[in-house]
Amino acid sequence: MNKHLNDGQLRAALDGELNLEELEHFESCDYCQMRQNTIQLQTQQTANKLAFLSTATKEPAVSPATAWHRFNQQKIGQKETPMYKKFFASPFTRYVLPGLLILTLVFAFPSTRALAGELLNLFRVQQVTVVPVDFTGMEQLNGAVGNNISQLISDSVTMQKEPTDPTNVANTDEASQLAGFNVRAPQDITSSRISVMSGVSFVFTIDRAKAQALLDEAGRSDLVLPEEVDGAEVSVNIPSSVSIAFGTCPEPSNDSEAAREMDREKNTSGSPGRVYKDCIILAQIPSPEVSAPASLDIAKLAQIGLEFTGMTSEEAVQFTSTVDWTSTLIVPIPKNAASYQQITVDGVTGTLIERPSDDAPQFALFWVKDGIIYTIGGLGNNSQKALEIANSLP
Amino acid sequence: MLGSSTRLMDESLQHESVLRKMKFRKSDNKSKDALTPSFESLFYEHWAPIYHLFLRMVVDPAEAEDLALETFFRLYQHHPVPEDEFNTRGWLHKVATNLALQSIRSFKRREHYEITAGKNALEQAPENQPFEILAEKEDQRFARLVLAQMNPRQSQLLVLRHSGMAYKDIASALSLSPTSIGPLLLRAERDFEKRYRALTEDKR
Repeated sequence: MNKHLNDGQLRAALDGELNLEELEHFESCDYCQMRQNTIQLQTQQTANKLAFLSTATKEPAVSPATAWHRFNQQKIGQKETPMYKKFFASPFTRYVLPGLLILTLVFAFPSTRALAGELLNLFRVQQVTVVPVDFTGMEQLNGAVGNNISQLISDSVTMQKEPTDPTNVANTDEASQLAGFNVRAPQDITSSRISVMSGVSFVFTIDRAKAQALLDEAGRSDLVLPEEVDGAEVSVNIPSSVSIAFGTCPEPSNDSEAAREMDREKNTSGSPGRVYKDCIILAQIPSPEVSAPASLDIAKLAQIGLEFTGMTSEEAVQFTSTVDWTSTLIVPIPKNAASYQQITVDGVTGTLIERPSDDAPQFALFWVKDGIIYTIGGLGNNSQKALEIANSLP
Repeated sequence: MLGSSTRLMDESLQHESVLRKMKFRKSDNKSKDALTPSFESLFYEHWAPIYHLFLRMVVDPAEAEDLALETFFRLYQHHPVPEDEFNTRGWLHKVATNLALQSIRSFKRREHYEITAGKNALEQAPENQPFEILAEKEDQRFARLVLAQMNPRQSQLLVLRHSGMAYKDIASALSLSPTSIGPLLLRAERDFEKRYRALTEDKR
């Protein structure tokens, strides 16, 4: 090697990090050694100033055993809860996960689907069905598995229409104009806020290998995704929606609200049920549309999804066989923690879900009318008020 | 998807129930299963160097411990199961350096750090040379402030190297070529000196 070393190589030489060829040149080259002396003076100044980074500290170290105990107490015991919430609180997951829920739980094919060939099947909500789910299976979403699922969703989705921040409007006429459908509101009950949430649309491309790897990682290698799902593209279009708030309610949901919600819980130890006990929100949205290749067996995916949440294989098969998958919106509720009943509301059959609790009772009322999905939800013992609102819609 | 009421219901109805179960489960022995013996052995192996790195950087022992725990929690989140080719030491040092620099950048913590550093310096100074010790501590304080205001990549490079890490480990941690470390280090040291001079002229 005849070429002189550059300044960077001379700096590396000070740390004994030259390769053999460079070292041989350096040791035989007076010019390089002279230049290195200059560089060494500069480097030594910095090394002196940063010497504290490598000197022993006088502070006694926290022992690994003590640290490990604290790690379990402080980090694993407490931080995984917010982690779980964060997974659901991200705007991406909040918009896309419901779409995937539709993908896995809602959309399937009629018995004549074989005749449909390669045409796309279209799903529209006409009715609502509740499915009690044991959510202990969802603990798999904790920690690394949850992060990986979130990452897989991010990698698999192409957003075509991004959500924007909710817009507060003065009245239902303005809301109707902005949302693009006829917004209904009770005439005799004053609302505290009317907000319009923009629509969102995206295409989800299934990567079977990655999805199966996640199932395996979650300890559910017994659940095997069909080969034909690989590469299937599912389009989801969620129209604009409108929420009408009564009482003291949280701001329309978005990322910052979710973050604030977590902060509020953290700082005040107050559950939403206590903070918003008089809040009732009437929400309405035209049916989302989901289209997928006819070759995709969504009923099978729904079965896998239900088994993942804790259902037995037999229960999942039985449930999926009773649902009209082309038109039914599935609402999962926690098993043994909430009750539901069918009731007549707004002239159609709806579903009232109630979760009794001394601390924070909750309710939600769902129904579908003229292609619009209505929900009234709240945190408190106000389900009768919700029925009043529903039955007073013009 | 269905608007605020559904989301409100979804979050509260579904997740609170799950969270309750999770909290319950985390308090029993089963929760230990989540932390594999391999992760525990990694924790034991790397705790002391990471904790000491923080102690040298942020001075305050309580802050150092908090940041070290956070570093290992991030490792647990991203790499709960040790992988053969994964450079755990480099990854931990990189994350630790970032967290330490962020901590120094934070005004409140910096203020706290300065008070703690000054107090410790006075307490530990030998009676016959308090001024020399104080001057040394002051120099270290300036050095930390300069590191905190530099380009993050350059700061990382300086901290990792002057903590005693070899070039190949630094390269692996920072996703750089080993042969680029020398030139980058030289550039970072020159920038450090320039900023240090500017800061000390300004403050003194």
